Order: sequence, then C-alpha cells, then structure tokens
Amino acid sequence: MIAVSQLPVVALLLTVGALAKVVTVRRRAEPGGMSQLGPAALVPARWRSPVLVCCALVELVLAAGLIATAHVFFRWATIAFFAMSTYVLWELRRRRPDVGCGCFGDVSATPVERRSLARTTVLTAMSVGLLWLNEPGWWLFVNLSWFMVFSAVGGMALLAVCSPEIEETVARLRYRAPCERRPLPASSALARLRSSTAWRTHKEMLSSEEPTDSWRELCWRFFSYRGRTPTGEAVDVVFAVYLSGRKPPIKVAVVGMDGGEIVTATAPDTVPVTV
Amino acid sequence: MPYPGIDRRRVLAAAALGRTVNPPAPAVGREQALHAVSGTIVDVSPHMIVLETADGGEARLVVAPWVTAWRGGVLAPADLPVGARAIVRAVREGTVAERIWADVTRITGKILSITAEGSPGGKPKDQIVELDCGPHRGRRTVVVPYRASGRLRVRHPQFDPGYLFDAIGVREGGVSYAYLPATSQPAYRAGLAPPPPPAYGGTQSRISGTATWSDSFDDDERGAAYPMVEQEDVGCDESGKSCVGLPYLALGSMLVVHNVCTGRSEDVQIVACGCVSGGFCDRCVECGTSPRGRIAELAPASFVELGGDLIKGCFNVRIGVG
Repeated sequence: MIAVSQLPVVALLLTVGALAKVVTVRRRAEPGGMSQLGPAALVPARWRSPVLVCCALVELVLAAGLIATAHVFFRWATIAFFAMSTYVLWELRRRRPDVGCGCFGDVSATPVERRSLARTTVLTAMSVGLLWLNEPGWWLFVNLSWFMVFSAVGGMALLAVCSPEIEETVARLRYRAPCERRPLPASSALARLRSSTAWRTHKEMLSSEEPTDSWRELCWRFFSYRGRTPTGEAVDVVFAVYLSGRKPPIKVAVVGMDGGEIVTATAPDTVPVTV
Repeated sequence: MPYPGIDRRRVLAAAALGRTVNPPAPAVGREQALHAVSGTIVDVSPHMIVLETADGGEARLVVAPWVTAWRGGVLAPADLPVGARAIVRAVREGTVAERIWADVTRITGKILSITAEGSPGGKPKDQIVELDCGPHRGRRTVVVPYRASGRLRVRHPQFDPGYLFDAIGVREGGVSYAYLPATSQPAYRAGLAPPPPPAYGGTQSRISGTATWSDSFDDDERGAAYPMVEQEDVGCDESGKSCVGLPYLALGSMLVVHNVCTGRSEDVQIVACGCVSGGFCDRCVECGTSPRGRIAELAPASFVELGGDLIKGCFNVRIGVG
C-alpha cells in the first residue's frame, strides 16, 4: 500500500517538471540561455530547446497515463524514464560537472550532486512500486485513506530532502537581484504612472498622451511629454517612475524648451539614486 | 551614430529627480591632460604634423623627437602618407603630439565566413573574413594578410564561422586589413557568453572590468557604447546582456570612467548601444589582469584621452555612474 500511494507523488513531480521546462524554454529562448542546463547541455545548441520540450511532453504523457489508465505500458515507461534519467544525470555529472540537471528548468541550475542522483533513484524505486497497483491513478483519489495520505507525504518529504532546488528557490526569494539590474518593462511603469496623482495633476498640460521619449536609468523609468503651460509656453513634462516597490514614488517636472530651465517643480524631495 | 535628443534626457532626468546637470568633466589624473586630435594629414615633417579636422579647421602640432607613429607597424611620423586619417594623442593643450595612429581601424564581430586565396581584393594566401558587427554596424569584410595570419590565429584559435573576432588593423583604400589581435578570443560561440554572477545583496558602487574602443564613432566624437540598455529603449534585441553585473542605463547617461592603468578619470556620456561588446566576456591584461567583461566601448578620442593605446585595444577600467 505504501508503494502504490506514491503514484500521486510521481505524477505531481512529472507534471511540475514538465511545466517548469516549458516555462524555461519560453523564457530563455535566446542562444546560450540553456547552455547550463542538463540534458540540454549534452546536445548541440540548436537541439537544446527541442530536447527540453520533448522531455516535457514525455513527462506530461506519463503523468496523464498514470492518472487516467491502469495500462501497464505507462508504469513500465515511467520506470524506464526515471532509470534513464538517473543514467543521464550520472553521465552529466561526469562529462559536464559545471551544469545543473535542468529537472525543474532553470531552478535546477546548481551542478548535479549526489542528492539529485538519489532523487531520480528514489523516483525509479517509487515507479517500480506502482506495478503493484491494478487500478488507474484516479481510483486512489476516490478511495483516499489517511494511511495513503501519510505515505504520500512521507514520499514527498523524502524527495524534498533530495532536492537542491528548494534551497535555490528560497535563496532566490530571499535575495533578489537589485532593481537596477532587473529587466523591467516600460509598459508596467506607464500603467503605474497613469494611475498616479502626478499624472492626473499634469494631464491637462500634455499635448498628447503618448510620450515623446522614454528611457530607463538605474531604477527609474522616465517618460517625457510635450505640453503647454496655462500661459501657452511650450514645455516638456517629464515623469520619473521608480521601478520597485508596491507604491513607487513618482516625480514630475515641467521643463522649459530654452536651455532646460525648470519652470515649476512639484517634487523637490528626491530619492537617492544608488548604484 | 549618436541618437537624437539624448542630451535633453540628462536635463529632463535632472529636473525630475532634483539633480544638477554638470557638464562632462575633463580628464583628471596625476599627469597632465591628454587631448585627442583627429583629422586627415595635410602635411607632415619630422617636426610638425598638420591635420585637417572634421569641422574643416586646421590643427598644427609639434612632433616631439621621441614620438612614434603606427600604421600597420611602427614608423617615423615623417613617413606617414599625406591623406591618411590620423588620431593624435597630444599634450600641452593639444599642441604637442605624443603618439600618432594613422588609418587605424578595429574590426569586432562574429565570423560569418572565411574565404581563402583567390577572393576578390585579396592576394594569394590572404584570407577574406566576413563579419557580423551587430545590428547597428552591419556587416564588414576584412582582409587578413598572410604575414599577419599567424599572429592573429594564435589569439583566435577558433577561426571558424560562429566565433567572435576582434582585431586591430589599417583601413586603406576602403579595405580593412587586420594586423593585430585585439583580444584573446573567447572560447564560446558568439551569443553564448556566460550570464553575470548572481546579484545577491546590494549592488557595488564601483564596477571593474575592461574598456575597449570602436571605430564606429565619428571622428571627433566623445562617448561610449554601453551594453546594459533596455532593449525596447534602443530597439535592439541583443542589448541588455553582459557577463558583468551592470546596472541598466540609458543613452545620455554619464559614466565616470577610471583608467586603472594610468589613473586618469573622465566623465563619458553613453551615446550608443554596446550590444557587441556585451557579447565579449574577456579580460584585459594591460596592467594586471582585469575582471571579466567589457563594461564600455569608447570612442577613439575618449579612449586616447583616458591614456589608452589604440594598438593595445583595451585598458583595465573601473566605472561609477555620474
């Protein structure tokens, strides 16, 4: 019973692994983006994305097969998949000790270590245990018992101990790259600007709602607009949106066209710019 | 090369953030200021060189007896041909020439093809290399003369399409000839530079690396190409990549560039997207070994005024943001 209770765990890991790989392929589509992820690192650059996508598809098919049917093909295919993964990781560790396993996409970027090998070995063993289940995977959810839940949680805990990705994820959440080094789209800054008081206050001065220029410097995104003062003088209205935080400060200045002389400045207080 | 309106950005940004706009500060250091004078050689003698500058003016410089010139090799200033494009490192308010480079060019990019002898424009055993010099500079064709190929191949072991190429040479009659390697070729293919180290914790107030130069700037232009600019700001898919942990800046931002080798510093404005230099994760060994990664690609005039030697191709640099 302990062995068959691991089916939800195996199916969950296959699904999460597949989704993480697809996300990684979408995010790191540029050349070199997956050069540090196994098993992509073992194949030429042009095959890296197809290999990861293929791997993700196989995982999804296996997970669906385990849950939906009791066909023995999916049970044996899962055993073969994890056994082969163990061999690939072993080979990866020998040939490319600098790259990560890529099991969960770019979260698995730390070099392959014994724990990663132990995890695929445990998963292979769990897959072997599924051969004793004569019912489809969904049957377990219908006939759920506390013993099965505890068994599955025990299996998850064992896999968590063997997962360096958890430490990596915690580290990424705790220590984010500073704002000035993170790519941040202008569109979200523009949305923040348009919902701000500074925008509503100066909107009537603007000749157009489309900025004439937009640029980013460190953690600030600037939007420059052509406008006119109530006296009819042509001016540039520039907004500076801070790119970090839930309620980012937004600065605004109205600058004359002649030599950049400031006509009015509504935000004398400044936020220090750090580098 | 310069983008319109980038000077206005500094004024607007300063107004919005309550900063003051300081004009670019001149080079400072322990020694006297250096000046870069560029132009076409109108007349040259052992004691005097006359240049026609880009604005149509004339610059007359005294040539000190110890001055050497470079045009594919070291030669006496008097042997420079009239009509050559020269850049002169000058002292004493730009009146005394200290070093002269003539028709110097730098070819940096990704190798697209290599054609051996029999190619148009090439002598037997010369190699014709076609390069992709990035989205802003297009393609260039360079001739690697047979006598220079050994020296170049030593520093470019992967002399194959798809790998990076960086050489210094001479532009003559519309043809670029590569004579000297400008760097040790990175071992990876173009576009496969390693990612920057993770930026856990705070950012550095100073960033060290290497500064190079490029001939894609105008003759008298000062400034730098910087790799870490937002892609949507410059319309370039290859920007925003560097193996150094650089902060995002914009065209028009100021960099405080400090030449670690000479001790000279200068405020240099970012005037171009440096996506090509972002693909190089190499070191400069001009004075000690620099950390990996090209931080800025300077205009020749800025490079010279910071004490750099165009033939050596780089200097160790430390930057701050002005």
